[in-house]
Amino acid sequence: MITKRIAVFMATTAMVATAFSASAADFKIGLSNGWVGSEWRTQMISEAQEMATMWAEKGVEVDVVVQSANVDVPGQIAHVRNFINEGVDAIIINPNSPTAFDPVFAQAKARGILVISTDAEVSSQDAMYVGIDHNDYAKRTAKWLAETLDGKGSIVTINGVAGHPANEMRVEGYREIFDAYPDLKVVNEVNANWEQAQGQQAMQNILATYPDINGVWVQDGMAAGAWRSIMDAGKTGDIAATGEIRKDFLDIWVENGFTSAASVNPPGVMASALNVAVNLLQGKELIEPANKGKYENAMYLPIPFINGENVKAVHAELEGKPGYYSYTSVLSIEDATALFK
Amino acid sequence: MMNTATQTPSAAQRFKALCARFPFLPALIILMLLFALNGFFNANTISARGITGLFSTYLALMFLAVGQSFVVFAGDIDLSAGNILSLVNVFIITMMNASAGDGATTLGIMALGVLVGAGCGLFNGLLIAALRLQPIVATFATSIFFTGIALYVLPVAGMPAPMIYWQTYFASFFGLPFVIYVVALLLVLIFLFSRSKVVLQLLAIGDDKQAAFQSGLPVTATRIKGYVLCGVFASFAAFCLTGDTASGDPLVGSAMTLSSVAAVVLGGSMLSGGFGTQLGSLFGALTIGLIGSLVYFVGTPASWQNFVQGLAILIALMVGILISRRS
Repeated sequence: MITKRIAVFMATTAMVATAFSASAADFKIGLSNGWVGSEWRTQMISEAQEMATMWAEKGVEVDVVVQSANVDVPGQIAHVRNFINEGVDAIIINPNSPTAFDPVFAQAKARGILVISTDAEVSSQDAMYVGIDHNDYAKRTAKWLAETLDGKGSIVTINGVAGHPANEMRVEGYREIFDAYPDLKVVNEVNANWEQAQGQQAMQNILATYPDINGVWVQDGMAAGAWRSIMDAGKTGDIAATGEIRKDFLDIWVENGFTSAASVNPPGVMASALNVAVNLLQGKELIEPANKGKYENAMYLPIPFINGENVKAVHAELEGKPGYYSYTSVLSIEDATALFK
Repeated sequence: MMNTATQTPSAAQRFKALCARFPFLPALIILMLLFALNGFFNANTISARGITGLFSTYLALMFLAVGQSFVVFAGDIDLSAGNILSLVNVFIITMMNASAGDGATTLGIMALGVLVGAGCGLFNGLLIAALRLQPIVATFATSIFFTGIALYVLPVAGMPAPMIYWQTYFASFFGLPFVIYVVALLLVLIFLFSRSKVVLQLLAIGDDKQAAFQSGLPVTATRIKGYVLCGVFASFAAFCLTGDTASGDPLVGSAMTLSSVAAVVLGGSMLSGGFGTQLGSLFGALTIGLIGSLVYFVGTPASWQNFVQGLAILIALMVGILISRRS
């Protein structure tokens, strides 16, 4: 009796499963995301899924399968092995580690699978990176901060997770800029692990310790927390600090007239990577090979920049979007195709 | 009808006796079911290649869970196990990169890696058993402490493992993949430990610490031994992870700690101590891995994968309890 029930259950689920997966797609692309802690990641996946449907208008059927869950590094290696077992044509991954995927990417490539990482660079020479240059991301806002302060004064920085590759690249970037301004003193550097609440706490401590601070270099969601502390301390007009790209933050930025600027790491990077992947799967060749970055396998996407000049326009563009929505930009199908021979 | 009525209780009784003798049996049944379901939805997962892939991915968690069992048996817990793994990973990677990279030095460095793991375990054990700090908070603190050391050894992920190291991990010997031999080795270790004095003593302490103390068991020393063994197994886990990832990453293991605790519980051990098997923990580790794959292969939409995965682990836990209670 129980075996019969199991058999019926398995047969029904199999039917459901085939109903989901049965399609005469030209290309099957697996998307792997190993961390689901922020809306940015959710937006990244849904933008990539939407992009796949847009290829249908170009006469290319792109079937997207997604694995997205909070996993440790072995768990995400399992994502890749699952995709290999399923026989996808390409894997696009937002990796939990820059180096740990070298062997499994080599295995994927040996089976003819194209591997692209996005948002975070990977060392594997069997994969390429399509995303922004995190070093440049930091340099742009650092330069803005230095110029806004006329190259003098004291500043603090609030960073993400120590040892995280993107964080280290950003730290390297701003240090290089600030070093070029001898009268600009970085009086403290703290880590707030990319959490808004920790960013707010860190800023409170900073304001208590250095009440005469002139500038703050802070990244991503932590910026919203830091600005909250600045507002609470009544120093909105006295401090220049970098910002972030969610609608919630842009709302208060415009409303209070912050002296702020933000580099954009758009959630559309995965959709951009998908467009590059489809072109590669069609057998096309890049005009300019992806050989940038320290691993010489990167293709860098443009980094939009928001400051006092365009913040109103950007804010207007996001009218009607939910508060957690991040300002985005995508390499369109046409623009991506134009990069190929 | 007569026949079934008389046979059913005896079959149940036999099953009960089996479960009492082999407490890991429910975990094994769940594992086999998951394995069959995975194979049903994707035939490649039960091919030789698929199984090899499964083992190479989850060997590290298997070792970590078996190590975690030592402390759980005594009613303790080690929240720093994954961080010890990270520390040993970056330690052996930086040592290997600084040395010639031949087989003998590599083995020597691995021996030092075991000492690092044992040292971390000893530190935990002294804090908890000798200084009487609460295990959860003490190992939570040391987990941050060990991460700090790992970040000092290798500030950012990225150093590659020598070719000889990870190529061995993916190589085949006498027609069998290397990881199969490692699994066999782990099974032998589990068998030997299941009959060892230290495991029996740890279980006795977990069962009733006061009684164990009054009957003359060296409670403090044994609990310290448990933590040292946990550290040593964390270093073995680090060797496997280094093989599968071929690189050093100071943050790689922290998320694995709770998985190792979950694996121990899924394997039928009690967190309050006194009852459990290490073979069960090994099955629990594989169960966690297979659930993750199954959630994907049945076609769960991306936004529901976390939810379904959590639910599936809960169901596995409940089914395990139901099987052992009914019998």
